[in-house]
Amino acid sequence: MKRLTRAFSVIFLIAFGLMYLTYYLNQAEGYGGKNTLTVYNWGDYIDEELLEKFEEETGIKVIYQTFDSNEAMMTKIEQGGTTFDVAVPSEYAIAKMKEENLLLPIDHKKLPNLKHIDPHFLDLPFDPQNKYSIPYFWGTVGIVYNKKMLKDKEIKGWNDLWNPDFKNQILLADGAREVMGFSLNSLRYSLNDTNESHLQEAKAKLDKLTPNIKAIVGDEIKMLLVNEEAALGVVWSGDASEIMGENEDLEYVVPEEGSNLWFDNMVIPKTAKNVEGAHKFINFMLDPENAAKNTEYVGYSTPNAEALKLLSEEISQDVRFYPPPELTKKLEVYKNLGKKMLSHYNELFLEFKMHRK
Amino acid sequence: MKKKNGLGPKLYLAIVFVILYAPIFYLMVYSFSSGEKMYNFEGFTLKHYKEVLQDTRLLIIVLNTLVIALLSAALSTILGICGALAIYYVRNLRTQNALLTLNNVLIVSSDVVIGASFLILFTIVGVKLGFISVLLSHIAFSVPIVVLMVLPKLNEMSPTLIDAARDLGASRWDILSKVILPFITPGIFAGFFMALTYSLDDFAVTFFVTGNGFSTLSVEIYSRARQGISLSINALSTLIFFATMIMVIGYYFIAKRNQRGAGMGVGK
Repeated sequence: MKRLTRAFSVIFLIAFGLMYLTYYLNQAEGYGGKNTLTVYNWGDYIDEELLEKFEEETGIKVIYQTFDSNEAMMTKIEQGGTTFDVAVPSEYAIAKMKEENLLLPIDHKKLPNLKHIDPHFLDLPFDPQNKYSIPYFWGTVGIVYNKKMLKDKEIKGWNDLWNPDFKNQILLADGAREVMGFSLNSLRYSLNDTNESHLQEAKAKLDKLTPNIKAIVGDEIKMLLVNEEAALGVVWSGDASEIMGENEDLEYVVPEEGSNLWFDNMVIPKTAKNVEGAHKFINFMLDPENAAKNTEYVGYSTPNAEALKLLSEEISQDVRFYPPPELTKKLEVYKNLGKKMLSHYNELFLEFKMHRK
Repeated sequence: MKKKNGLGPKLYLAIVFVILYAPIFYLMVYSFSSGEKMYNFEGFTLKHYKEVLQDTRLLIIVLNTLVIALLSAALSTILGICGALAIYYVRNLRTQNALLTLNNVLIVSSDVVIGASFLILFTIVGVKLGFISVLLSHIAFSVPIVVLMVLPKLNEMSPTLIDAARDLGASRWDILSKVILPFITPGIFAGFFMALTYSLDDFAVTFFVTGNGFSTLSVEIYSRARQGISLSINALSTLIFFATMIMVIGYYFIAKRNQRGAGMGVGK
């Protein structure tokens, strides 16, 4: 008994000692204070030096937390119990969160830097008039190909995927909208098409692609392409820029037939405690200099027109990530097609997945 | 029985240990690499260790993890002892088995289920996600383990011991504190250490119930690993590995000393 009480007293003493130490560290770092801002972002999706700069400029202490999927983020915000002040969901998640009243409206008067954003990227169907969201980064869906493995064959558009030479060489990202979308695009239809005969046509065309497809995969597509397991892949531009840094033979192209334009936007969740600080943070990130610095670090395409001017030509003239206006016109944002149409897309995609070679 | 110490068993043992320890050593070696990736060792450096020690947020998270582990293990040990005693004293064999089964269900049911149900529960009750929610859920999944570690010790104890104590005029409290608890002490410590390790490396349950800037090491490493594991995580893992080694060795010597001193049975 004596031994037990002694052991447990020691354990509790150590625990409380450590707790005090944590408290002390928190206090020293400023996390304990009232003036904090919790930012909820994708992993490695910000230049952390900017957080320090923001702290210096405003005196607000940033608590930076990360998530790895839109779904995980929405669950955490939906169930409450957390106080995220700023979050960065993708556009389809924003539409969903808006429907479920998980967002607070953004006061544009508090965002003087909003004028730097290219008007092309404002007032889009997923959030008319940007009432709830401000663009953070954007990108496209396109084709990554391995120059070395394809020798001299050039890839220009979606229709090149159907080349019979690419037998068992293509990896697809596992998304119904993406895959159905590129098939529709290759037929020169809109990727928001709801015409049944167009959809059936797109599905039939996809079935003809099956001999060329090696696999339909998730995040591992990046690793597979870097390791040269396949010569071509249909991926998001963000992933493309990441893997192109790891394997120099990889090249990315925005297909000439048109493609999807996607966004990651900053929002203020309804759980926010520091709404004032959240506006300050969003405004800070919209500042051209900061946005340019962030773009250099993250490598995605910035919607900030002024920031683009500050970037080196190597980045801003890169047509792979800043396509020329003729092509940009052909890029479309996903519209919310409604539950029924969406499940129809999913069904067609599933049928295609099960199609035998 | 005469033991035959051929080469075969030794070789087998060696292979098993190599398989078990090779990944850890691989990770440790790369914590000293000056590159940024876990292939192509580029040269010796200590910069990843410097990064770890300068990262206050990471340090806070390590401390959080330790506090949670120690507190949850200690509290669940106390609750687990009570639970084991309660099950032990149930006279009806069927009820006893039923209780034991209910206890085991919690151990075998998947962490994801436990984590998700805690998330729902905390949300309904209105517990803010953070330190308290993580602590409570860790206590909850540790208690059954402690019960399972303590109960065999209780069953091993001869009932005559208690009868003898009662004959000699011991009160109920005396019996508990001077007979039962000293006897089951090894089981209690085993339970405590099991709970400690379960809490230290739990990911699934914690993942659901963290929030508001509070995080434990496994959850933090997971969210950092999304973009490829930075080698500072290797450095941190190496440090933790050595800390655990020191703890295990320390525990071994303490146990050895105690064995020589008191031996099993009734302590002082």
